[in-house]
Amino acid sequence: MDRRTKQGIMNFLQSVKLCFSFFLSLGKKSRRTKVFYVISFVPILMALAIKLAQFFYSHRDISGLAIFSNMIMVFYLQFLILILALFFGTSLCSEELEGKTLTYLTTRPVPKSAIILGKYAAYTFLTIIMTGVGLLFTFLILNLDNLLDFSLYVLFLRDLVVLWLGLICYTAFFTFIGTFLKKTILFGLLFSFGWENVIQYFPGSTQRFAIVHYLKSLLKVPTSGGFSFLLFRLEPTPPGIAVLMLLLISGIFLFLACLFFSQKEYILQD
Amino acid sequence: MTAVIETQNLSKWYGNILGLSDVSLQIERGITGILGPNGAGKSTFLKLLTGQIKPNIGRVTIKEEPIWNNYPLFQIIGFCPEQDSFYGELTGWEFLKNLLILYHLPRTEAEDKAKKAMDIVELSSDKDRVIRSYSRGMRQRLKVAQAIAHDPEILILDEPLNGLDPLGRRKIIKLIKSYEQEGRTVIVSSHVLPEIEAMTQTIILIHQGKVFAQGNIHYIRDLIESHPHIVSIKCNDPRTLAKKFIHQDFVLKVHFGETLDSLLVETNNRDRFFALVPSLVVEHQIEVKEITSPDDNLQAVFDYLVGK
Amino acid sequence: MSIKEKGYSHWNGEFKQGGLSWLPIVRWGIRLTFRKKFFKLLFFISLIPAIVFLVGIYISERLDDFRFMIRESTDFVQINPAYFKIYFTNDFLLFMMVMILVFCGAGLIADDLRHNALQLYFSRPLKKKDYFLGKVSVITFFLFLITLVPGIILFLMKLIFSGSFRFFASYPWLPVSIIIYSVFVTGFFSFYTLFLSSISKNRRYVAIFIFGLYIFSDILFGIFYGIFRSQYFGLLSIKSNIQQVGAAIFNQRTPYDFSWILSLAVLLLFCLLSAVVLNKRVRGVEIIK
Repeated sequence: MDRRTKQGIMNFLQSVKLCFSFFLSLGKKSRRTKVFYVISFVPILMALAIKLAQFFYSHRDISGLAIFSNMIMVFYLQFLILILALFFGTSLCSEELEGKTLTYLTTRPVPKSAIILGKYAAYTFLTIIMTGVGLLFTFLILNLDNLLDFSLYVLFLRDLVVLWLGLICYTAFFTFIGTFLKKTILFGLLFSFGWENVIQYFPGSTQRFAIVHYLKSLLKVPTSGGFSFLLFRLEPTPPGIAVLMLLLISGIFLFLACLFFSQKEYILQD
Repeated sequence: MTAVIETQNLSKWYGNILGLSDVSLQIERGITGILGPNGAGKSTFLKLLTGQIKPNIGRVTIKEEPIWNNYPLFQIIGFCPEQDSFYGELTGWEFLKNLLILYHLPRTEAEDKAKKAMDIVELSSDKDRVIRSYSRGMRQRLKVAQAIAHDPEILILDEPLNGLDPLGRRKIIKLIKSYEQEGRTVIVSSHVLPEIEAMTQTIILIHQGKVFAQGNIHYIRDLIESHPHIVSIKCNDPRTLAKKFIHQDFVLKVHFGETLDSLLVETNNRDRFFALVPSLVVEHQIEVKEITSPDDNLQAVFDYLVGK
Repeated sequence: MSIKEKGYSHWNGEFKQGGLSWLPIVRWGIRLTFRKKFFKLLFFISLIPAIVFLVGIYISERLDDFRFMIRESTDFVQINPAYFKIYFTNDFLLFMMVMILVFCGAGLIADDLRHNALQLYFSRPLKKKDYFLGKVSVITFFLFLITLVPGIILFLMKLIFSGSFRFFASYPWLPVSIIIYSVFVTGFFSFYTLFLSSISKNRRYVAIFIFGLYIFSDILFGIFYGIFRSQYFGLLSIKSNIQQVGAAIFNQRTPYDFSWILSLAVLLLFCLLSAVVLNKRVRGVEIIK
């Protein structure tokens, strides 16, 4: 790699870092971020309620770990990370257009793709923190009886990483959608709660067209409770390939988002 | 002198609507005013200059480099957009500082420049208030501040005086004129001729997407002066006034309105005409009910100039 | 020399408010919704259950002609209040109602907040109640088109296809139930939508909230039920509460083993909370702290 190319890459990465700082400080101050922090802490309340109910009604049929796994599958995987990714991913481009603040970004000496990548990184970072903190406290509350069992923490970390991979992948996808579609919400809802919910139960290779298939392939099977239907007809992909696919999907959609954003002309309505 | 900004056959359509048509210009150092009525294509032109939109035909170059997707050029360009929009949850200080960081400046330098820009536009006392709470004039000054904060060589301002009070306007005009003295290039657009006149002698007239005059403002002014103005006077004795006006060389036409108590006068020298009216009214004790100028707007001037 | 006015004449009439000052809000709300491309498709899809149930009513009167299809059991084409209850409380129809709310309701107040239009509204002879009435009427229009109107049509078509008033004589309260249920579900969803529309200035966020809260409440029920196996957790789900009250209105057995009054109380409490928030959020002046 010649010196000029290296210099170009360094400049690009520096621009991404600057955009990341810019949007992170913007995102931290945003009221919307605070609202989503509250929403992502709802599982903590749920965990508290479950624990109290178990304590008062001696309902100990299901272990804390099983409840935690079920919450990951039902609440996080099928709802929260989809909503967070849809919200933040589609906002990446749309809010600059609707707020007519795009001009302030595109008249700075940073590449347009750095704007997209920096903002994506900032929003993904925020959502990772949101889910991480919520998940940690939920885990601790539900496994209050077994906190000294260190094998649980390994499982927790695995689940956390899977959810983060899901966030990275879904946010990349919705970022791409946001750069070229106008009706991002309708499409996003149809994709998240239509396509992802239906295709994952299709047999054979068809289910591999859903991102959630790869995420479920990485998660442990829930052992009890009425949730085994969630893994109905799952033909899991090997974990290594699942991780690779998720990263590949993220990379492809981010690349496409950068390409579209750099080449497309955005006309702000007066 | 080599042109700093050059456009060749620049044209832009929005669907079926023509935004700009075949604009070929060379803009040199100093202040250039872009003058035109609302909807003339001024903002379209400035958006093309700053690479916000792509031309359908033609090209734009700044310092002999194309502007589209050429982000390094923005190190030396500052742009003040027309629309009144911000990141409302930030304070004025945060807004400026964070945008300056995107210029690859160290944090301390960015803060110094932000402080300097805030001082110039006199927003220092309000820097810690959220932008949502700013008045219209304060937001306009903040927009100018973000355009000048990084000391750009080329400044492009789209209607920078909108929403400012007379004192604010004077200060911004003074600031823009100081840029010319420093050898920078400034392009400023407006639909108000006196505003442009106060800043520069070099103007470009745009109307219906076309450039139809470029040059010294005095030439344009003379054209406007020679544009016949119509003045309507409603009074109790229009015929006496008409007799007096007929003898004046700067009165081109006199005719009576539909209601016989009004008089329509066409003159090619408004100043001399209006200087005469009070003395005639007093001398002949005429009761004037109303004086209006039906074509006293820039649109009428442009229509006249296009016709010429 | 007196100063003459240019032609303006002073208002010599009474200062009184027009009776239907909220009507323009309704007209424009409906027009703007119908202008959206995908809305028309969505609306027609939401009429599918009505068409299916209408076909069912037809088949019930022509059982002999369709014997080859039905074979043995004709239970599913028994036209009785349970049939109507199934139509009104089926998951698909409720889901489509939420989707319609996303289109027609998300921006009702959010757009006004965003564009500072509340000052424009309240500087006219329009009271807050007129404003809310106008907004609610937009939602009512669309939801009635898929609840009350098809419900009454289904009832009438049953009478027409059967050629007698026997059905009406057997269930004279059924039209009243249809009206009460339609008003109940529309009223709840009006509060629901306007509340969510008032908490943000961005209609995109509101659209996600409208959809997300509905789905989330159901997920919450699913999680707790999966763990504790108690149907009382149905009180957490908007859908379950509506189905519970709906069954009671049609005098049918409720789907869950708890009193429908509890469900009604939960929904009314939500409406009350929404009213409080709406009253606070909708005002002519924005106070920036």
